[in-house]
Amino acid sequence: MQLSYFRRVAAGGAVAALTFAGAGALTATPAYAATSKVSVVHGIPDTPVDVYVNGEKTLDNFKPGDVAGPLTLEEGAYDIALTKPGAPVADAILTVDDAAVPGGANISIAAHLDAAGKPKITPFVNDTTKVDAGKARLVVRHTAAAPAVDVRAGGTPVFEDLTNPNEAKGDVDAGAVKADVVLAGTDTVAIGPADLDLNEGTATIVYAIGSAEAKNLGVVAQTITGLHSAPAGVPSGDGGLAGTGVDAWWYVLAGAGVLLLVGGGARVATTRTGRR
Amino acid sequence: MRHRGALAAMAAGVAALTAASVVACGSGPAEDVGAADAADLARAAPSPSAAAPSVPVTRGDLPAGTRAVPPVRLSIPAIDVTATVDAVGIDAGTGEFEVPPSVDRIGWYRHGPGLEARTGSVVLAGHVDGATQGEGAFFRLRELERGDTVTATATDGARREYRVVAREEYRKTKIPLDRYFARDGSPRLTLITCGGPFDAQTRRYRDNIVVTAVPA
Repeated sequence: MQLSYFRRVAAGGAVAALTFAGAGALTATPAYAATSKVSVVHGIPDTPVDVYVNGEKTLDNFKPGDVAGPLTLEEGAYDIALTKPGAPVADAILTVDDAAVPGGANISIAAHLDAAGKPKITPFVNDTTKVDAGKARLVVRHTAAAPAVDVRAGGTPVFEDLTNPNEAKGDVDAGAVKADVVLAGTDTVAIGPADLDLNEGTATIVYAIGSAEAKNLGVVAQTITGLHSAPAGVPSGDGGLAGTGVDAWWYVLAGAGVLLLVGGGARVATTRTGRR
Repeated sequence: MRHRGALAAMAAGVAALTAASVVACGSGPAEDVGAADAADLARAAPSPSAAAPSVPVTRGDLPAGTRAVPPVRLSIPAIDVTATVDAVGIDAGTGEFEVPPSVDRIGWYRHGPGLEARTGSVVLAGHVDGATQGEGAFFRLRELERGDTVTATATDGARREYRVVAREEYRKTKIPLDRYFARDGSPRLTLITCGGPFDAQTRRYRDNIVVTAVPA
């Protein structure tokens, strides 16, 4: 099953379409296997690659700064290999065997540099819980060959002492914010500043990539949409002019009516009985 | 004589009961119309049976802002409404829809779809009334019927016509807001105000009136 998926995405032209029709029926969210959404993020500067998954070429000439996916993958273990474009998988420049993909998750697999500047692959689990109405989620991932950093929004540190390969996140008011990345505890700007437009109901995931030493630090961004919630309510009137409820006095009137009827009826009945 | 008095009392009783029931019936909520249609519109179109044959690859650029086309005027001839529309969001204190303070103005939910949207619900909410300002722009919203026309004017002056397909009343505790604030499903216009019984103590209406309209 896993292999058939990748054959499908790797193949080209008419063959792909045919394989797809066949495999699609089998892989379309089967009830017996949990699936995950998987994106791939390229954060290694100057190094386009082919991406092999379980030995099958999945991405051809995948460029730095690109984001691929999301793919729907069944849970399981996957072998990932990166090669120079066109090079055989045996000459991979980076491999990860048995990368675990859990079921029912949203995952980003980042190819990036570690703190020392060596290429590596790190999987991140994306938080796809709903954000409150009016909010946006900001996630920052340190995937650069650089020391600990602070992330500032409008000049104020919002995430502090973030190190490779970790993330910091928070739900903030949706809208534009000017953000930059500084060396932790300093005002030395490493990346930015950049205008971030955080759209309501989305998660914006920003990867700091590149190398401080090579002076090619930068960012790659990935967006997850559809995390919005409805407002808590729509309060739209406090005058009472349009109230459709029945005022209490009408109940009093109805009650009086019932009493009069019953009382009058009883009187009539007793009078008649008395005459007999 | 006592007999006559008793009959008079009974007559008065009947009159009182009749008056009370007429008021009770007359002030009941107008019946919902088109509720099933409104629910159908919220159903997302079936996703394409086959996904794209290759892995989508995009540049990892920083996100740009959304470019929704805001409505700036709303006109509903059937209930004599012509009102200015403000782009509004969420009240930070309550998490509720930020209906404009002026009861003459209508709020467009700027986080949701704009007039350009091909899917989802464009939400406009306005006051039915205000304690000090009297009748609001949506005072007569509950009188709208299926087939009535709603016209929204965009910032660029373009006018879009909609046709009312449903009018519903929900208790505020039960209203399926997720459906009315959905960003998927058929393109539609959702008009919301307050209605139902008014609690003079809390100065709150119990219900929301929701009118759904589709592009004409």
